[in-house]
Amino acid sequence: MHRCWKLSVVLVGLAVGSHTLWAQTIACQGSVQGKILANENQQPLVGATVYVRELKTGATTDTTGIFRLSALCKGQYTVEYQYIGYKSVSMPIVVNTDSTLILQPVQLVADSRTLQEVVISEHRSEAQQLLQTQSSLSGAALDQTRGQSLGESLKTLTGLYSIQTGPSISKPVIHGLYSNRIIILNNGIRQEDQQWGTEHAPQVDQFLASRLTVIKGAASIRYGSDAIGGVILVEPKSMPTRPGVAGEINLVGATNGGLGVVSGLIEGAFAKKLPGLSWRLQGTLKRSGYVRTPNYYLENTSYHETNFSGDLHYDHRRWGTEVFYSQFDTKIGLFTGAQVSSLADLYAAIQRPEPLVKPGFSYDLSRPYQDVQHDLLKVRSYWHTGRGGELTATYAWQQNQRREYDYVSFSGALTPELYLKLVSQSVDLVWEQAPVKSKAGGQWSGSIGFNGLTQGNIRQYLFLIPNFRNYGAGLFAIERYAVGNWTLEAGLRYDYRWLRAYFLDDATKRTYAETHNWQNVNGSLGLACELRSDLTVTANLSTAWRAPNVADLYSNGLHQSAVAYERGNPNLRPEQALNGNLVLAYAGKRLSGEVGVYNNLINNYIYLKPDSVPIIRQRGAFPAYTYTQVRATFRGLDASLTYKLTDRLALTTKNSLLFAYNQTEHAYLVFIPPNRSDNSLRYEWPKWGSLSNLYLSLSGLYVARQNRAPAVTTRQENGQIIFTGDFAAPPPAYFLVGAELGFAAQVGQQTMTVSLSGTNLANVAYRDYLNRFRYFADEPGRSIMIRIKLPLTSSKGE
Amino acid sequence: MNRVNTLLLSVVSFLVLVTSCNNGEQNVAPTDDNEAITTATLTLTNKANSNDVVTATVENLNTTADFSKATLNLKANTIYTGVISLLDKTKTPALDATTEIKEKANEHLFVYTPTPASLLTITLTDKDTNPAPGPYPIGLTTEIKTGSAGSGKLKVVLRHQPNAKNGQATPGTSDLDTDFTVVVQ
Repeated sequence: MHRCWKLSVVLVGLAVGSHTLWAQTIACQGSVQGKILANENQQPLVGATVYVRELKTGATTDTTGIFRLSALCKGQYTVEYQYIGYKSVSMPIVVNTDSTLILQPVQLVADSRTLQEVVISEHRSEAQQLLQTQSSLSGAALDQTRGQSLGESLKTLTGLYSIQTGPSISKPVIHGLYSNRIIILNNGIRQEDQQWGTEHAPQVDQFLASRLTVIKGAASIRYGSDAIGGVILVEPKSMPTRPGVAGEINLVGATNGGLGVVSGLIEGAFAKKLPGLSWRLQGTLKRSGYVRTPNYYLENTSYHETNFSGDLHYDHRRWGTEVFYSQFDTKIGLFTGAQVSSLADLYAAIQRPEPLVKPGFSYDLSRPYQDVQHDLLKVRSYWHTGRGGELTATYAWQQNQRREYDYVSFSGALTPELYLKLVSQSVDLVWEQAPVKSKAGGQWSGSIGFNGLTQGNIRQYLFLIPNFRNYGAGLFAIERYAVGNWTLEAGLRYDYRWLRAYFLDDATKRTYAETHNWQNVNGSLGLACELRSDLTVTANLSTAWRAPNVADLYSNGLHQSAVAYERGNPNLRPEQALNGNLVLAYAGKRLSGEVGVYNNLINNYIYLKPDSVPIIRQRGAFPAYTYTQVRATFRGLDASLTYKLTDRLALTTKNSLLFAYNQTEHAYLVFIPPNRSDNSLRYEWPKWGSLSNLYLSLSGLYVARQNRAPAVTTRQENGQIIFTGDFAAPPPAYFLVGAELGFAAQVGQQTMTVSLSGTNLANVAYRDYLNRFRYFADEPGRSIMIRIKLPLTSSKGE
Repeated sequence: MNRVNTLLLSVVSFLVLVTSCNNGEQNVAPTDDNEAITTATLTLTNKANSNDVVTATVENLNTTADFSKATLNLKANTIYTGVISLLDKTKTPALDATTEIKEKANEHLFVYTPTPASLLTITLTDKDTNPAPGPYPIGLTTEIKTGSAGSGKLKVVLRHQPNAKNGQATPGTSDLDTDFTVVVQ
């Protein structure tokens, strides 16, 4: 309690302090007016964005292609002009007077390459300021994944995989690492949702994102400890600056599972009465029934999702503040055919080619299921000091409530078997230094910051992880120097973590606690060089660490859905990683793409090692596992290449190779993604009748068999068969065919985009190594999905 | 205006911070299993002599099972009537799971397997109310016939078979899987 008071006082002090500073800024009167035209036909571009890099504000063009920027102080600015499907242009402008400066019309050149991939650069993407290997999904490419979970939609990127628990739970995997080794930044806030659990999917609404950026490899310096595998940034659309009200409706439907999704947003900005004030409300409803494999339905694989968020921004010259609130609420049914209560049941289920119960289609959802609610409140303020840079203070509160309901056999109990409530609070203070020119003609830029975090966890019903309180604090500095074709980046970070877990002594009924603390210093070094205008090489070397989490240390219980008795190990030491990356990016006229190699060495890598003696409980025998540490390596290659056969026809190949090894025991690691190759052919028609941006693509995904997996061995013990390594050998390789057709059509004033896609068109029955239910059933069969996106803009402003 | 906003913001964030720091984690809830079975008792009554009652109990099934009282000492070539009782002693008062199983008899089946098979012959004597092709046996009550003298084990498995009960052991999952020692003299 005492600590919290102190934290509150400091925070409030900060807020009040910065207010005094804000009040001192002087009013600026300069304004700029300009026009944006399409180069090919000299027509005005409506809704193009204009962005002032230094001020982080902007405007959009009106129906005549004209934009206005007002309340500018005297000085030099860099202005970026952008429009979907056009190459972005940035130009310097000088504001000298308080009168309106009229600019020459800006002409944007069409860019056919961006139509397909990345469309809008998200200015707030802090990841782009880092010299790290990263891929992102936005614009049309992101729209093509709407309706899918976060984990599934990221699989279109190289080096990204997902660990699944049936068709409804999917967890992202970066270069073979997942759960606590990945940080998900939801709207700038580190998502804390009991992410240690393999069957705990991230509680993030995919529709919140206008861009998904993945930093592949250790990125601990900026984002804190734990980011050994990488960081996923879920970045929302920038707030509207143009007065008026606008909106967007997304509809998704799929034949398999009878999936239906409605997601909409409405947003607006005020003009004269309250300039700088903007708002947004967003919500998503999702519902799916039993998913069908080629030969049968998967009982109880229904799920619901109900999410909403609200965002309020106020930007006033050099400062601004934002309040964001979101709630994610889901109920996910678990496939009943995978519910085994003992090793004997598991063994019988593995032997069956198909599940015993094969019902018809239904939207029913009963035990076993998960019911999870995640709430996030974020308050963020920035203060732009002009020459000095920008100071940002962020406070976030998150509450994750997880209820897991198992089968009840006879009791008719209505309570869950597991309840966990995790409340996390974090404070971030970051100062971004404004670029400074050096004498040598180079430019220095950088940032320093502080991160603070506290969490409290409360459990009820069965014991899986204990109650705990933790505190974390980190200090970092990143400095970057760019000169000529070279950019050099170095970072340093110090972290402190404190953890106290609370237990109940069964005999005395007294509470006792165990406390740990850790500290660590990490560094990173990055180098980028533009060898030619179309060829860039980036190299990165960084260290990262992860303190053992409460599940690693103190798990002690039967993990029914995993058919495992998991035991924590309180003597674990932090994981320490050394991560190296080398990426070559080429953007030629016909050929473009990226080839990257990585090597991630992790000392004290924590994993569940099978025990030699099984545990016997009321329901029979269970294999037991204990958390153990080894030295592990994760090496691989990501290659994504596009070759334009003609101006309209392009061939894309995306390949991800990964080789992981347990160096201590000279053995393979379990649950490592197999190699994959995703190839597609795409044909585009810029115009076809009244339709525009028409495309047709055919794709083939090949996933190899994971031959680098621990051998499956069995032995008899007291009449029970005991498995070590795994329960069944990895499934065979598979090949899936997909197709997609998309276009844009004019509906009144609005441009509606429609896409129709088919997955597993050949209706192949296959199993995936990374699905925890692969022992019991096949993967989903053919599905046809339709996606409709309709922007709604009102023509009248304020 | 701005000053009011900032002040409001400060007050709100202060309140949020203070109210959410309530150290609830220091009050640890006891472990509570909805369906713990701690105790399984087999009571066998000699059909020819109702005063000849043999009981065997396995305790602490949900943790490290105690088999010290789990031996059935039976007479050779004798017919017994058997009753099984399951208790959850983690609840106060102890909960009788057998009553609940009886209420949901249409989805439960006890499977008794002696090793060696010649040790005992077991017939389930109760029936559920499943519609045709049912009803099927439940196994809360049994008739147990001993063979010639010998010793071995009797495995008792309770299968939970919602919407799938067909008289066979295969469907469903196990709620109980334990062994009693059997001595036939």
